[in-house]
Amino acid sequence: MRKFNLIKALLAVVSLSTAGTLQAADLQDADAIVERANLVSYYAGDDGRSEARMLIKDAQGREQKRQFTILRRDRSEGGEQDFLVVFSRPADVRNTVFLVSKKPGNDDDRWLYLPGLDLVKRISAGDKRTSFVGSHYFYEDVSGRGTEEDSHVLLETNATHYVIENTPVDASSVEFSKYIAWINKDTFLPEKIEYQDDNGALYRRVEVLASADVQGHITVTKSRVSDLRSGGQTTLEFRFQKYDLGMEQAVFSERSLRKPPREWLKR
Amino acid sequence: MSLFTRTLPWFLIALALPSYASDDWGDDAWGDEDEQEIQLHGFVELGAGWRTSDDRVLADDDMTLGELRGRIESETYLGDTRYSGKFDLYADGVDGGLQMNLREALADFSLTDNLDLRLGHQVLTWGTGDLVFLNDLFAKDWQSFFSGRDDEYLKAPSTSLKLAWYGEQANLDLVWTPVFANDSYIEGERFSYFSPMSGSQVAAPAGKVTPDHPDETFENGEFALRLHGTAQLFGQSSTEWAVYGYRGFWKQPNAVSVQGRAYFSRLNSLGASLRTNIASGIGHSEIAWYNGADDAGSDPLLPNNQLRFLLGYEQELLPKLTMGLQYYSERTLDYQALAANDGNSLYRPDENRELWTMRLTYSAMQDNLILSWFSFYSPTDQDYYHRPSAKYRFNDELSLTVGGNIFGGEQAHTFFGQFEDASNLYARLRWSY
Repeated sequence: MRKFNLIKALLAVVSLSTAGTLQAADLQDADAIVERANLVSYYAGDDGRSEARMLIKDAQGREQKRQFTILRRDRSEGGEQDFLVVFSRPADVRNTVFLVSKKPGNDDDRWLYLPGLDLVKRISAGDKRTSFVGSHYFYEDVSGRGTEEDSHVLLETNATHYVIENTPVDASSVEFSKYIAWINKDTFLPEKIEYQDDNGALYRRVEVLASADVQGHITVTKSRVSDLRSGGQTTLEFRFQKYDLGMEQAVFSERSLRKPPREWLKR
Repeated sequence: MSLFTRTLPWFLIALALPSYASDDWGDDAWGDEDEQEIQLHGFVELGAGWRTSDDRVLADDDMTLGELRGRIESETYLGDTRYSGKFDLYADGVDGGLQMNLREALADFSLTDNLDLRLGHQVLTWGTGDLVFLNDLFAKDWQSFFSGRDDEYLKAPSTSLKLAWYGEQANLDLVWTPVFANDSYIEGERFSYFSPMSGSQVAAPAGKVTPDHPDETFENGEFALRLHGTAQLFGQSSTEWAVYGYRGFWKQPNAVSVQGRAYFSRLNSLGASLRTNIASGIGHSEIAWYNGADDAGSDPLLPNNQLRFLLGYEQELLPKLTMGLQYYSERTLDYQALAANDGNSLYRPDENRELWTMRLTYSAMQDNLILSWFSFYSPTDQDYYHRPSAKYRFNDELSLTVGGNIFGGEQAHTFFGQFEDASNLYARLRWSY
């Protein structure tokens, strides 16, 4: 019954990808770089599907697994999006479905379907920097953090990356004092992000381990988040990604919670 | 417990042995969910619960839960039709014997682009309440709920046909249950109850409730309807609205024939609900008008009509700590007529029964530990029901749940007060596969 806590939030990394890449002069404006990275990471195509699985390891080396399929549709580029996440593993969350209507600048609308009770439960917008389905990923890592929530400074432009320092506008709402992002100059994919606490100590790292071109969009196929304090980590793999399937808005409704849309979920 | 150990179905344990084969995804195929191949899932669970005090009217009153349960579930597609089955087999040390429980056996398919049909044995739920039900008149299993089984078992399956039509502005659900499916109510076996007839707590064998069921005719089938949709009523959030209708019977045998036999009397109901984001939480409200066989309210052997109202709000207080509050009221209509005809019964319910509920949920240890507390408290009945629980997930296969069902009240006859001696503590160890 309390599976919904386990499945705390939305998974959007389905779409870590980019528009066509052009060799161009280095950009100077940190805000413009971050905006572009946001589109590349979370808004590839007009819609998309992906299968995903997580391997969660705690500091003692104990493992848990999660597997699910994600459908995404953008209402507007860089703006509102809808997600449907259908879990297939582990057994105790199998067929649990999660629906999110992401509204940058506002609270998201979120629903959870618990198949054992045939219950469509609406869940309140929670802290976005807490564990997503028991992994080391946060809700915000996968659905995207509003670009307006941090101020951005371009620290360095090297041969391959823009190095950007991000400082929260509201420091009380987050557990970090700042984070540094390494954004690929060609693809605009943030390939490494490191978080620092109030003492300037590095305690958390998110990194892309592999990516591929899918229908012209650079797409993450493997990433990892490391909790440097506890020693735990979660590896996330994506497969069977497709973009621009032509999904309708109606796919993201109560109907799909009670009867997941096989037309879009199957490979 | 001897029966319990004797009937231990070892084969179920063998079925549930998890695969510790890989310490990585390794070559674990993504095609695990291959639809052509039939997958078996489920769990094996050992559960035990003990009464915290004696129940003097029950002969064997030590345990409220004592079972080894095996669940097998599977689903497959044939064409575009999904078939799903869930089956429980359990050795019950309280009621005794090996018991079967078919949880689900259904076929699910679309008749047209916007018309779905779900046919067969299924669990059905709608409405906005959290453990409080107004327009959800699908069958419940209160014995499972009181004894500490998984929350899933609160909802009892029924053999029904569900048609769901999806339109532009609104959607319509129609559920037909040809044979009336009553609640699994407190009947005096696992738990005793208060009998207003005798004015005392009673239990089986003499006090066992053996009601008359409605004849199995088309006319006596249950019809439930929900018209629902979403609208932007408050700001950016989508507000869910619904209108409900029901024609069937009270789900518990709360009518008495002139011969003194309990039975399920006619119930029709109409209602509505709203649910939306408010501030950073979720607000919901629901109303239902219960209209039974006693329109004038003057027949003390029949339940009076009622007006039920619910208002609730849930919000995250701190990271990982969520609190939900609900206010519920149940107004007995035509109360003067009832009062004039029930022989000044000492046990007449209040005209307005009010109930508050609170849910606190806290998750810790990377969501592997879930602490929960749910309380019902009625200021009008002066009684309560607390449901604390803690669930720990050792890994993806093994979990342990411990909890309690604590009842109490000022008077022996009230809704929760009568179950004071049913108070219990339980533990369940579950192995999922």
